[in-house]
Amino acid sequence: MDQQGQQGLDSPWRSAWRSRGGPAWLIAALLIGFYVDLYWFDHLEPVARALGLRSKWFLYGALYSLGMVGGAVFYLRRHGNSRYHRVRIATNVGVQVLLAWTLPFVMPLLGGTEFYPSYFWPLKYDLLLPDTLWQLPLYLSIYGLVGSLLLSPLLAFFLGKRWYCSWICGCGGLANTFGDPWRHLTSKSTASWRFEKAAIHTVLVAVVFMTAVVVLKGLVGHDHPTFAAFADGTKQVYGFLVGSVLAGVVGTGLYPLLGPRTWCRNFCPMAAILGLVQKLGRFHIRVKPDMCISCGNCSAVCEMGIDVRAYAQSNQSFTRAACVGCGMCAHVCPRGVLRLENRVTVLGDKARQGLVTLDL
Amino acid sequence: MTPPLHFVIVGNGVAGMEAAVALRAREPQAKITVVSEESDHFFSRTALMYVLAGQLRHQDTEPLERDAYARLSLERVRARAVGLDSAGRRLRLSGGQELPYDRLLLACGSRPRPAPWPGAELAGVGHFVTLQDLAWLEAELHGGPSRGGPPPRPDAHLERSAPDSPYQPRPVAARRRGHLARQAVVVGGGLIGIEVVEVMLAAGLRPHFVIREDWFWPMAIDAAEGAWITQRLAGHGVRVHLGRGVAAMEGQDGLVTGLRTDDGALLPADVVVVAIGVVPNTGWLAGAGLDLDPSGGVRVGPDLSTSAPGVFAAGDCAAVPGADGRPRVEQLWYTARDQGRIAARAMLGDPVRYERGLPYNSAKLMDIEYTTVGEVWTGPAPDAAAWEWTLVEEGRVRSSTRICGRGDQVVGFNLLGRRWDHSVLARFIEERRDLSWVVQRLPQAAFDTELVPPLRVPADRLAAARALARPPQG
Ligand SMILES: Cc1cc2nc3c(=O)[nH]c(=O)nc-3n(C[C@H](O)[C@H](O)[C@H](O)COP(=O)(O)OP(=O)(O)OC[C@H]3O[C@@H](n4cnc5c(N)ncnc54)[C@H](O)[C@@H]3O)c2cc1C
Ligand code: SF4
Repeated sequence: MDQQGQQGLDSPWRSAWRSRGGPAWLIAALLIGFYVDLYWFDHLEPVARALGLRSKWFLYGALYSLGMVGGAVFYLRRHGNSRYHRVRIATNVGVQVLLAWTLPFVMPLLGGTEFYPSYFWPLKYDLLLPDTLWQLPLYLSIYGLVGSLLLSPLLAFFLGKRWYCSWICGCGGLANTFGDPWRHLTSKSTASWRFEKAAIHTVLVAVVFMTAVVVLKGLVGHDHPTFAAFADGTKQVYGFLVGSVLAGVVGTGLYPLLGPRTWCRNFCPMAAILGLVQKLGRFHIRVKPDMCISCGNCSAVCEMGIDVRAYAQSNQSFTRAACVGCGMCAHVCPRGVLRLENRVTVLGDKARQGLVTLDL
Repeated sequence: MTPPLHFVIVGNGVAGMEAAVALRAREPQAKITVVSEESDHFFSRTALMYVLAGQLRHQDTEPLERDAYARLSLERVRARAVGLDSAGRRLRLSGGQELPYDRLLLACGSRPRPAPWPGAELAGVGHFVTLQDLAWLEAELHGGPSRGGPPPRPDAHLERSAPDSPYQPRPVAARRRGHLARQAVVVGGGLIGIEVVEVMLAAGLRPHFVIREDWFWPMAIDAAEGAWITQRLAGHGVRVHLGRGVAAMEGQDGLVTGLRTDDGALLPADVVVVAIGVVPNTGWLAGAGLDLDPSGGVRVGPDLSTSAPGVFAAGDCAAVPGADGRPRVEQLWYTARDQGRIAARAMLGDPVRYERGLPYNSAKLMDIEYTTVGEVWTGPAPDAAAWEWTLVEEGRVRSSTRICGRGDQVVGFNLLGRRWDHSVLARFIEERRDLSWVVQRLPQAAFDTELVPPLRVPADRLAAARALARPPQG
């Protein structure tokens, strides 16, 4: 059946594991331990081999997919009464299992290339580096270039960044399935918002800088060995700090303490770019006038730390760069005040009344 | 130079705080004092159920940030007002303190309507309106507040309260009984009743829901709509008792043990929540010389001024003249909010009038979305020219769309199961559209979540709408 709102009440603040109690710290410690081992030790390599997997990364991918499938089952039991969430989560899990695990695993067995078609630059930060592009078959290089630089921002313009962050991306997918029980923990404080702005744009600058330096190395590196070494170092530091520490250890390890979108909100350079495009694009959250009862459910479930209520109670439709369009604010609003939309509104008043719109 | 005025507001609910914010925006220098017995901070009373369920922390329900008092230079007094000397322009507080004012706003809200049956004083019997009721029910159902914590300084007012205050803590039966509530009864088929029922379901109880009327909330819901809601409640394991009154609450050693209905049945209960409405919280104003209506609402003029000079009233405690001029007390978040804003302007001397506009409301009845706009009725048509048109969907989406009209005009909507933009529907009514016009333009008012199949009007319902759009002359 298709319903639009929350079905039954949720009680996160009555479970210790969902409200920063002892079990939450334990889960966080286990997750962090797992990531540290994964990135910097080789205990998982023999396990992977024993299971017939090419490397520990495929074991990680399998566990990741399992985490998503398991989380999705619980998520859909709770929110599957909404078609938006059914389709969204099914797509996201499907992309992870098929495009981010099965395809890259199977292709090399058939003589093809190991390629992850659901990841783009700058999230997959080495996709546009010369070494990668040269190694890939031409059609995949073109796919990577066009996908990263043209298609992603274009889709974000028309559909909002949600097309990626809440429908396709594996990081977002894990956050919205396995991490969903902790979504209410994302901080809504002004301080956390300031940190977000500073941090995410720093990473964006860093990835552009790193990419530029490595591309330049590809062009002139032969003649300038010191520069080449500098470029390699830059890439390594970025990979260590952003790729491993922030995306893995902090991003996922701290789910039970800081909420599931710590990485997406504060550090993901892809989210930063798509967010800026989203601000200029067509996606927005429409607020029904004068119907908000200021209950706070929308702000509480926002995994990106947006104080949705502040907009809703002042009758302000809005677009925030951070919003990943997961749709949960609209879902839990007990007065149906919020609606996610992609629409062009022209001609002022008439458009606002929904008379002249061009739904995409 | 005249000294800045002293504005005193009794109540930091939505009416009081909207007024305080509006006053400060206009009067940077004035002294503004907010007296509130119940809580330190403005919180959304409509969100009490979510705190009880543990879905939200108390803090999540505060619409303004905690530094609002400091930022707006509002003085806070956490005490009970116990009397008013309107001639001397002084507010009397519990403990003997007096607060002189130039302008006073009464925004003291509602208190629960007391249970008129024997046994109302038993431990384990209570209401669900105030923060103190919330704390009581949290203790009965869960043993205490959630891990989100209680509101700050929950007992700070107790030294300056009074025994008849609705903000007094209630005795907790679970503590003396030695176990949490296992059996529960909710009395009263209205919004607060169904909210409490929903929370109890989430807490794993299967409450009895005792409704005196023939179906749930007949003030707003008609028989067919009510049947759907009863079915939904029963499907979730609620034991719904329709058309049954209460004879008494029964107990032992001061603890409630059950509720006897007026047909003699005994429903065993460890906790009974009485949700039979609210009344203006104005007992403390008796003898102040204000003009009160029979329910206790403070009568005000169109500018929300009371019969006493410099005294205004807004929100749940005010009896405001309706379109027909008759005073009405309305217990709604929306009206309280709007009245608070208007009262602030009136207190500043602006020539303002509170205009009610078309009534609208929304709610969630379990998992059924509900929106209403304009004039609707729930029984037989109120007059010869009145008609209604209904469309029930029972496919992938279950919904009920009921449009009321008079002559050739649409006058109201009662909508269940889908989301609607009430402001567009209100415009249809204000523009005096006919049914056929409205039915064809319903998509403009749709507010459905993306990917939800839109409402389709089958040909026979469309034909019925056309027929009603041109009623026979005569
Ligand atoms: C459980 C529940 C759910 C509800 N849900 C909805 C809903 O979904 N939609 C809707 O429109 N409405 C709803 N309402 C009604 C809505 O909450 C009220 O209409 C609204 O809060 C009224 O605001 P107010 O400012 O007039 O009064 P209140 O919010 O009641 O505030 C009263 C204030 O006055 C203070 N006060 C009172 N007496 C004294 C005194 N003697 N001395 C000092 N201070 C005093 C109190 O401390 C308090 O701050 C609901 C109500 C309840 C209880
Ligand atoms: S928009 Fe909805 S969920 Fe958010 S505060 Fe308003 S009523 Fe509550």
